[in-house]
Amino acid sequence: MSTRLKESQGPDFPNAGGRLGDAAPQFCLETVGLSHRYAEHGSGLTDVNLQVPEGCIYGFLGPNGAGKTTTLRLVLGLLRKQHGSVALFGKEFSKHRISCLANIGSLIESPSLYEHLTATENLRVMQKIHRVPAARIGEVLELIGLSDTRAKLVGQFSLGMKQRLSIGLALLHEPSLLILDEPTNGLDPSGIIEMRELLKKLNRENGVTILISSHLLSEIEKLASHVGIIHRGRLLFQGTLEQLREKRQDAGIVTLGTSDDLRTLQFLSGQVSGARIENGCITMPCLSNARLARINRQLVEQGIDVHKLVAVESDLETIFMNMVSN
Amino acid sequence: MLIGNYVRCFQSEWLKKKRSLGSWLIVVGALFTPTIIVVARMLHRGKLPALYAASDFWTSYWRSSWESMAIFFLPMAAILVTSLIVQIEYRNNAWKQVNTLPLSLTTIYFSKLAVVLVLMAEFFILFDVAVYVSAMVPATLLGNVSYPRAHLPPRDFVADAGRYWVASLPIVVAQYVLSLRFRSFLVPVGVGFMTWVAALAALSWKDGYILPYIYTMLAYLRDDPKTRITLPASQLNAWAIGYALCFTLAGYLLFVNKRQKG
Repeated sequence: MSTRLKESQGPDFPNAGGRLGDAAPQFCLETVGLSHRYAEHGSGLTDVNLQVPEGCIYGFLGPNGAGKTTTLRLVLGLLRKQHGSVALFGKEFSKHRISCLANIGSLIESPSLYEHLTATENLRVMQKIHRVPAARIGEVLELIGLSDTRAKLVGQFSLGMKQRLSIGLALLHEPSLLILDEPTNGLDPSGIIEMRELLKKLNRENGVTILISSHLLSEIEKLASHVGIIHRGRLLFQGTLEQLREKRQDAGIVTLGTSDDLRTLQFLSGQVSGARIENGCITMPCLSNARLARINRQLVEQGIDVHKLVAVESDLETIFMNMVSN
Repeated sequence: MLIGNYVRCFQSEWLKKKRSLGSWLIVVGALFTPTIIVVARMLHRGKLPALYAASDFWTSYWRSSWESMAIFFLPMAAILVTSLIVQIEYRNNAWKQVNTLPLSLTTIYFSKLAVVLVLMAEFFILFDVAVYVSAMVPATLLGNVSYPRAHLPPRDFVADAGRYWVASLPIVVAQYVLSLRFRSFLVPVGVGFMTWVAALAALSWKDGYILPYIYTMLAYLRDDPKTRITLPASQLNAWAIGYALCFTLAGYLLFVNKRQKG
């Protein structure tokens, strides 16, 4: 487990480090030491400890090929597990596969739809299995905005319509957990906004826990309450979006413009680590406002003019890039 | 509970075949030979009055209808229909959806197989009805041809259709297993065609009955004095059922132990 991950598992992750057998029910989904290796290219997952609290929207973030889909496939039993364990709703998945799946709706990668059938027929295929009343089909079509497609075959749908229908299939049986793998792929901006609003509404009004993967930080930032960042098969960060935002300040820099940069650097070397001259200015890690004011005062007292003092917070994009590039 | 799940899964699988190529092939395949027979008879209408007056009209008509069916169309239909039905999941990228449903893998495996077997039964029923209708068409349309005088033996027809269904089981199940195993449609169809050609070639070999794709041909040829394979019908059925059971078990083990499910 990475240092960052350990740091992040504060009060929001009370069961962190606990064994799976003792899984507290507040985690809708929990993986412990999940590792996987593909025989063909060797890469895969290493010791992924995912913890998705109940009722949250968990953004599972990572660049393409980071291991997001592999993790979700392992969670759903689509890949045979090699190491570690998966618990859903406090029950071990391998021992309670059917009861766990009965409470999950999923969309993994591209839509899985029968293109020679209509939207209603696709939903009817699932309705038989989930034993939900036939009236639910109309409700779902209404919810996803496809109630006027009638006899149109799914093969003639746009990608956005297919994606919405896939979400509809996942929602048909009103699951407690929705697992969506890059559901906004291929959607136009209005489609992305519609889907985001739909997911927020489901979470807010129906209390559905949502685990959504994406490679777009901006998308996750607008939707998720919790975030997990994965890169090269390792979970680099896990925590609330607030905890991730706090890192924004930690990862920020201060730029100083003075009348004598060399003397300033000499003065700072005894007080701040990581200060250096860059592009005619001095840059150093972000400090508290009080400490920054003190340094400014001391520099002036020593006869050094300070004509520029700028604190720049990193945006989440930079934090994310720093994480995956380190 | 288990049976309830199985029935619901079967109903769901049955819905998927709607408008599919596999379900159209069942209809076209079953009607093809009777249609050709009607056209041929209408073209050679001069011989029909004597033919329709014969006391063994139905027996000979039935046998001639089954000739191309048993040797060619039935194995082809079994190979293509089975592969096309399984291919619905691959073509629509839907295996991952199927495998995340709250169903046991056993239920999924056997309900899909049941759909293929019922479709094959539908093929035989349609064919039987079409054979009967095709025999009646010339008599209805042509003034000089009377309706057959011979008594229709429906029990023999149904029993024969049942025998052919049993004989087709090894082909259906082997194709099912291959289609589940390989994503590409060409693999099960290619292997199916090659095995069918091998079975055709083995008709002149006295031990040819050991080939699983040969039984529909033998079910037809068993009364032919020229055939070199002289196995009683009951033994042919036993071989066919034995192969079907072995393939079903092997396919089931491969299916549940698949490393990547969709």
